[in-house]
Amino acid sequence: MNPEFQRNLWLELTPRRMFPMVVALALIFFAAALTGGLVSGPGEAARWLYYLIVVVWGSRNAATSVVGEIRDRTWDGQRLSSLGADTMTWGKLFGSTAFNWFGGAICLAVILIDLIGNRGPVVALIELVYYLSIGVIAQSAALLASLIAAGRRHSHSQFGVFLYQAVGLAAAIIVYLIWATADPAGTLLARHAPADFIVWWGLTLDARAFLLLSLALFAAWMLVGCVRQMRLELKMRNGPYVWLGFLVFIGIYVAGFDAWLTGWQSLTHLDVVARRLLLAGTTYGAIAYLMVFLEPKDRVHYRWLGGAFAKLQFGPALGGLQGWMTAALGALGIGIVLLAWLAQTPQDEATVGAMLGFLCRDMAVVVLANMLTRRRGGDFTALVMLFALYVLLPAIVRGMNYETALVFFFPRVSDPLWLSPLLAWAEAVLATALAVGSLALPEEKVAAARAT
Amino acid sequence: MIEVRELVYEYPTVRALKGVSLRVESATITAMVGPNGAGKTTLLRCLAALEPPYSGSVTIDGLDTKEAPRAIHAKLGYLPDFYGLYDALSVRRALTYTARSRGISAALVGDAVIKAAARVGLTDRLDARAGELSRGLRQRLAIAQAIVHQPAVLLLDEPAAGLDPQARRDLSQLLLTLKDGGMTLIISSHILAELEDYCSEMIIIEDGLIVGGRAIKVRDVERPRYLLEIAAARSDLRQFLSARAGVDVIEADGHHALFTHTRNAQARAKLIRDLVAAGFEVSSFGESTKTLEDAYFKQVGQGA
Repeated sequence: MNPEFQRNLWLELTPRRMFPMVVALALIFFAAALTGGLVSGPGEAARWLYYLIVVVWGSRNAATSVVGEIRDRTWDGQRLSSLGADTMTWGKLFGSTAFNWFGGAICLAVILIDLIGNRGPVVALIELVYYLSIGVIAQSAALLASLIAAGRRHSHSQFGVFLYQAVGLAAAIIVYLIWATADPAGTLLARHAPADFIVWWGLTLDARAFLLLSLALFAAWMLVGCVRQMRLELKMRNGPYVWLGFLVFIGIYVAGFDAWLTGWQSLTHLDVVARRLLLAGTTYGAIAYLMVFLEPKDRVHYRWLGGAFAKLQFGPALGGLQGWMTAALGALGIGIVLLAWLAQTPQDEATVGAMLGFLCRDMAVVVLANMLTRRRGGDFTALVMLFALYVLLPAIVRGMNYETALVFFFPRVSDPLWLSPLLAWAEAVLATALAVGSLALPEEKVAAARAT
Repeated sequence: MIEVRELVYEYPTVRALKGVSLRVESATITAMVGPNGAGKTTLLRCLAALEPPYSGSVTIDGLDTKEAPRAIHAKLGYLPDFYGLYDALSVRRALTYTARSRGISAALVGDAVIKAAARVGLTDRLDARAGELSRGLRQRLAIAQAIVHQPAVLLLDEPAAGLDPQARRDLSQLLLTLKDGGMTLIISSHILAELEDYCSEMIIIEDGLIVGGRAIKVRDVERPRYLLEIAAARSDLRQFLSARAGVDVIEADGHHALFTHTRNAQARAKLIRDLVAAGFEVSSFGESTKTLEDAYFKQVGQGA
């Protein structure tokens, strides 16, 4: 047996804990069956208890599985172990939540009995997949958040754990809302009204089947994310291919929803290809913004990366690109294709060109802020700088009735059209030059100090 | 076995290691000493491939910590200064978990647990919960966890903290046994007295640098240092000793001599007989103690 899973079972599944859980759940279901007032029977009670035990409590335990080790000073011992990242991940994810899954399994049994009796085995099976997925997604999202925080050497306090748990809960709420939206009547596969279909890549698909598959795929990607983050904690290197695979997947997945943009008035003139490219490119941009804040901005790594490119060692250098860099490159690549596609509409071309320039500028700003701020807080400094660039300074410019100067801060239609992208890219070059320059500062200082 | 070249490590606000280079031979015990905040723990963590160097390199058994950290992890046992234990687990389960997670097969894990527990004197506590152990016994359990998989390299940060005198003596004996079994040990401490019994070499770290730039040989188990005192001063004491086979004089004056000599009792007895026969009034002859402390303050003094 996986040693990490076994250790967690030793700690979690003790008779002293399991017996009260069984008794408590049995009493609640009995009370629900008798009264039928507070909730409509044991099935409904089991649903709420499942959310409470597996989603709310389970995501907390998942968030604590690594953070607790750091707090209790046992994490270094685990990092030195011979366990692979996948073994460690599933040992923690399902081991630390074993007690929650024990309680959840009892609830699921009651839910299934209720569903089979009232709505048939097919619905029961689909709901089973949904409940398992929402539990795994919530717990793995919490674990992933805690692993990312551990990589950044961030908080392992109770408040930190609460934040990572909140990420898990947010993921669960999204899953719950999407599922509920697709099934407004609360019935599954009971009717196939037009509202129950989704248009994706021009195909009309059954909404619940599509969402169920989507849930399973996103749960799988969440687990992959946990394993990759665990690899970093274990000092293993992540190759670029899995992340590239995710980017390709998410790009294709999101681009398929082009039909949703048809209702957006300012985009109605775009054809289907442009809409899909816009969706994929915007998604990559959003991922780049998210990842540049989540990933550690390690001066040592950036210097190594620069050295590898300078020595034309493209294999290791490309393998060493961080997630935000690859996503930004993806956005740039799609943006360039979009620029070519929009050759007949120069105004759109200029806007897309400016968007790409500001994306690059903002990435450089985040790196620069982290290099200049030697204590933790570089990301906060970056947020303040971006707030100033996107909100504060434009507000001042507007207040001075100098609207034309807003072209310095946003992608805007300018006169001449090329001014907006030109300024955006000039800012990007300047910010990148400053960021690259700041990477070399400490080493040069040391060299200078040694020379003297 | 361990080679460190121009190792630089940087925290966000401070450069903790400023170009450390050292070489540690296999089957030795090296003391790492220095004041608090000198960089000892950081260096140990870099050796354990837990922290990547800013620049420079660390190789253990030919493996670079940057290139093959997991392979290095498999060769290591590491006891951090502030370690944690799974308080709710019994000693047996804690050791079983560590052994299994360090790659020992299920068939062999029982023997490994018994052996590790016996080495630190915890055989009679195997079924006690870690949380119920005293501080000293917890320290022993932590050491047992670090050695349960028989690592090639053992890194210990303040291993004797919390141990009573008997346990410290047992620890010294254990460390010497591990060294004799071929293990390479690096032990960080700022308490010189506890290192005296088992360390053969010493690295002094001060302000992120190795004082003197290299390890100092402070103790040779096969050739200890001896201190000789004679009642009546003789100017030819150094010359006489230097002429004896197997004697290397470190320092000498008319009344005293500090020299290395084989540990062999017969050889020592012969040396004393020769001294007495030559008319030296031997008033004291014994193994020199506090060599580590002497070496430390001598080096630190030079560094200053």
